[in-house]
Amino acid sequence: MRKIFAITSLVILTAVFSFQTFCFTAFADEPYDVYNYDSNGSAIPSQAGYTAEKSVSGNSLGISDFSSPNDIFVDADGAVYITDTNNNRIVVLNSELDTVTDIYDTFRYSDGSETTLSKPMGIYISDERDMIYIADSENSRVLIADSECNVISEIKKPESVIYTQNTFNPLKVLSDNAGNVYVALGNITSGAAMFSPSNEFLGFYGANRVDSAPETIDTFMKKLFSTDKKKARQERNIPSAITNFDIDEKGFIYTCTQSVSQYTDILKKINSAGKNIFADKEVQYGDITPVYDSSENTYYHTKITDIDISSGGYINCLDLTTGRIFQYDEECNLLFIMGTKAKQTGGFSNQVTAIESFGDMLYVADGMKNTVTVFRKTQFGKTVHKAISLYNDGLYEEALEPWYEVLRYDGNYRMAHLGISVALLRKNDYEGAMKYAELARSSYYYNKAFEGLRNEFLKKNFPLIIFALITIPSLIFAIKKLRKTHRKRS
Amino acid sequence: MLNLTERQWVKHTVFHVFEGFDDLKWKKQGSVKISFIILALFFFGVIADGRLYGYQFRFPDDKIFNIVPYFVKSVVLFIVWVVGNRAVCSVLDGEGSMKKIWIYCSYALIPYISQLYINVVLSHILVQDEYIFMLIIKIIGTLWTGILLLSAVKAVHGFSLAKTLFAVLLTLAAMFIILFLLILLLSLIQQIYVFVYSVFSEISYRIKV
Repeated sequence: MRKIFAITSLVILTAVFSFQTFCFTAFADEPYDVYNYDSNGSAIPSQAGYTAEKSVSGNSLGISDFSSPNDIFVDADGAVYITDTNNNRIVVLNSELDTVTDIYDTFRYSDGSETTLSKPMGIYISDERDMIYIADSENSRVLIADSECNVISEIKKPESVIYTQNTFNPLKVLSDNAGNVYVALGNITSGAAMFSPSNEFLGFYGANRVDSAPETIDTFMKKLFSTDKKKARQERNIPSAITNFDIDEKGFIYTCTQSVSQYTDILKKINSAGKNIFADKEVQYGDITPVYDSSENTYYHTKITDIDISSGGYINCLDLTTGRIFQYDEECNLLFIMGTKAKQTGGFSNQVTAIESFGDMLYVADGMKNTVTVFRKTQFGKTVHKAISLYNDGLYEEALEPWYEVLRYDGNYRMAHLGISVALLRKNDYEGAMKYAELARSSYYYNKAFEGLRNEFLKKNFPLIIFALITIPSLIFAIKKLRKTHRKRS
Repeated sequence: MLNLTERQWVKHTVFHVFEGFDDLKWKKQGSVKISFIILALFFFGVIADGRLYGYQFRFPDDKIFNIVPYFVKSVVLFIVWVVGNRAVCSVLDGEGSMKKIWIYCSYALIPYISQLYINVVLSHILVQDEYIFMLIIKIIGTLWTGILLLSAVKAVHGFSLAKTLFAVLLTLAAMFIILFLLILLLSLIQQIYVFVYSVFSEISYRIKV
């Protein structure tokens, strides 16, 4: 008897203990309030899709500290390239960010002479061509080298009539599958400069449109009364320059624009013809309502400073003002928001510079803390990604189970309500579809489900309805007639 | 000739668009009680229109139900219309008293109010593709009420048609001015309240110390 008691108590004790440790791991705390937006555009608490795992500095890696790192690139093997701008070097790390595998600072020409970098701002690696592209800003060139540091070629300021600028200040660089090189330049609003594989200047690519300012009474009056001379002296409407770009697996180039005044074309997805596919998307990127900071008594408006397309097609946007990362799916549905302005891991200074992704990880460079922070996808994040990728592929019914699981984590997740509604609609469960469409506040799917339900009802009760339509009016008519005759008689 | 009950008078004025109100005036009819019932129905109709629509057409704009905007959109608007009309038309030598304008104009609202209720019910039966039916009902109801209002103003003041149109335009302008003054008054009262409150709290602190 005593033995049984001892065993049972032991079992209970271990169960309690393991439950406690389980709780401890399950509720990893973020140094910020995790939130998402509901269908009304108001912020509501949510679950973390990514959690800050660690942040590394140069010191912790055994090399000299980073000095305002400005760009990160991860190649297909998971090697992380960090442009350490003020140290004039490129640091290569493994994907877990614990060992330095290489440091690039000097490159050799074919004749044996050497060249060093000066404030490198951007980096891009083309795996299939084994080429490194470096936006070497102070040297006014884009350096193209192989992985053994041998210079293949350089792109300098183009001698073209179209290129009217005096300076050539490359900030970011990337190349597409055909080997064309795109360079984002400082002080140029006409888009990224585009160069052929043989480094010829081809023109500009992906310029932003001018903000279509609504015609107010003020502008109308100005137009009416200003003379030609006045008009000539007026300020021209110039779009903001693109700040950063990234290319996805299919060859679409995404650009982002960091601007306070610009509202259109903050985020673009450009095809090879230069057309913006996101042009008609009415999405407000970043924080929907301006964030109020009580300590500084100011409102923060989102300024997207870097964009990254991860392997599943998810769009990661880095917000400079609040240090937040906004992740969207390929259809621009907001999935997760993480990061903040704070001193802890997972918080940033007001100088975040770059974001990059590899597998389950996100890397964020901070130009003032001089660190690179690693975010890792949580179980919730994985579930949402699984569901959303099925959903976006049109496999609505297969996505049903993952969406239910998402709701078990976060009962307010709007995309889950929407996904379940669509899936139930496919299964002809109209009442369920209506319920979830109502939760997602989607009139479109509610309408579809309602139409299905109504058709079902009509089909089932058609004879009854016809019968009622014929009998009720005739009954009323008969009663009226009877009354009349009754009245006449009396 | 035309010996109708109160309820029959309502029917008569609504369905005899052009001479109904003249008859009403001639027979010195019109009930305040019914006008208040109509106004209450108007108030609830506007609320139903805002909150009870089928979700396939629209969701309520806000999560929290606030009755004040609906009250302003129905009752306050009607009162301002009546007051504005009375103010303008007494200058233009209109014959109508405040009570008569109130009663006649409330009778004129009936098609619009019925349209509100019919559309709320239809919005739970129809789907988005069939919205055109609701739109037709809405347009008919609104136009009908518009014509009835004109005819009510014309009858109650004994105006010609041109003068009625002029009076209605002036009434709309008067309504804007009244609403503007109301907002001004409200914000002023609020500031006075804040001032009095701060003086009160200041004094109460002094007394304590």
